[in-house]
Amino acid sequence: MQITSDTYAQRVAQVQAAMKEFGLAAVVIEPGAAMQHLTGVRWGRSERTFLVVIPAKGAPAFVVPGFEEERAREMTPKGADIRVWQEDESPFERVAQVFQDRGVTTGRVGMEESLRFFILHNLKKAAPKMEYVTAQPALKSAGVNLVEAPRRRP
Amino acid sequence: MTVGVVPITDAERQQRVAKAQRLMREQKIGGIFLEAGSSLDYFTGASWQPSDRLFGLVLPAKGDLVWLVPAADEKRAPAGQDVRLWQDDPFPRLAQMLKDRGIASGTLGIDERARFFVFDGIRRACPALEFTNADSVTAGCRMYKSAAELALMQRASDVTIAAYKAGLATLREGMPQNELQNNIHAAYRALGYPGYVSVMYGAYTAFPHGSLTPQKLKLGDFVMIDDGCTVEGYQSDITRTVIFGKPTDRQRQIWTLERKAQDAALAAAKPGAPCEAVDIAARKVIEAAGFGPGYKTPGLPHRTGHGIGLDGHEWTYLVKGNKTPLAKGMCFSDEPTIAIYGEFGVRLEDCFYMTDDGPHLFSKQSPAIDQPFA
Repeated sequence: MQITSDTYAQRVAQVQAAMKEFGLAAVVIEPGAAMQHLTGVRWGRSERTFLVVIPAKGAPAFVVPGFEEERAREMTPKGADIRVWQEDESPFERVAQVFQDRGVTTGRVGMEESLRFFILHNLKKAAPKMEYVTAQPALKSAGVNLVEAPRRRP
Repeated sequence: MTVGVVPITDAERQQRVAKAQRLMREQKIGGIFLEAGSSLDYFTGASWQPSDRLFGLVLPAKGDLVWLVPAADEKRAPAGQDVRLWQDDPFPRLAQMLKDRGIASGTLGIDERARFFVFDGIRRACPALEFTNADSVTAGCRMYKSAAELALMQRASDVTIAAYKAGLATLREGMPQNELQNNIHAAYRALGYPGYVSVMYGAYTAFPHGSLTPQKLKLGDFVMIDDGCTVEGYQSDITRTVIFGKPTDRQRQIWTLERKAQDAALAAAKPGAPCEAVDIAARKVIEAAGFGPGYKTPGLPHRTGHGIGLDGHEWTYLVKGNKTPLAKGMCFSDEPTIAIYGEFGVRLEDCFYMTDDGPHLFSKQSPAIDQPFA
């Protein structure tokens, strides 16, 4: 399921180039077709937030539930920046920290179109200075696969 | 096991809508917008899957429900209700629906699982509105189960126990885990309800969500089975960890500790106590035995339990920091895993509902390491 490091680097670079073109300081993606194509990670969505944050410059970072860290490390690209949040902590604070670490302080953050509302709602509170817009045109232009495979089980 | 199941009635759904409207007025929310999903199902009985074509519902604080339906799906629109079909762009239609229910300004609650493009479309079409998470309304209703809901969840739990019994009776040395899985799935089909199970053996029992690595059953392995089934939309979720062959002292010790932690959680689930008290009680037992502390492994790496209902995991959660008071009708899992990576894990999971007198289990706890069912 994993993609090679070269493919990963190449796909991230393509997205970052598109982000520049579309004026996005970061892109946030939930598990699904786009995450799988871009990072090789295939993960089930649940109430526990799992995200990849792609900054305009620098390495992507994964925000991962603490008790799933082992499983996440098996799936994410080698050496990936993984930020865990424990059950009584906020994953959105972790995203805000990634923004800060990558110099994403103002401007527009692109949300992959299928991202769920509660993530946006909480992220707005954790990083209120950013403007949250759709990432779809940038992701399409970068050739990211956005078509969901049929679901196997709920 | 399908005899005697009573589906949720329209009258009960009307009461749910009325309660949601009361909560909206209290919270000064003009209405909520729901996409296809479990909350829409809860209030209306329409169980649609989200698709590219937007299908949704406005549940206004005052007035009748209004449906947003793709013109191509007109035949599936609910009969006798206010249905608005859309052809090219759903959002102007939705803005009109909101206006018609007096929601031209003020606050609209958005389904917590609505997709970003849906929210983005709404905010463009309705620039005067403010938005909030609709879960204060949806969870405010769904968290407290009625007698009819509890009866369906009881049936789901009974079906799962029956399927597990049938499955575990087939255990044999060398059995691949997917064979046990298939046997339990077959049992679910025979019982008349769709169900799913994840199966882990030996060292893989330490992984809370299992592993895809093919495994074969050996004497002395722990067998862990987890998940549940659906009855009229309502879920069960049960885990059993049972020894295959003779347990070591270590296995017996940890299994007994797990059972004590599960008992402690249940004992702490007193009406009015904060949800976090349940997690603290279970964790205390596990930490006292030298595990953890906190989420550290070896130990209990996750919260002690989750809410359950139309979704397998739903509000509210038995987790540190959650001060929500335990109240009548709330349903939870009680599952304080002990994960020892490299060795094994033990999880006993039974669900319970709160009554005014305390917690009431849907399933009887596993009495012993070699006795998964009472």
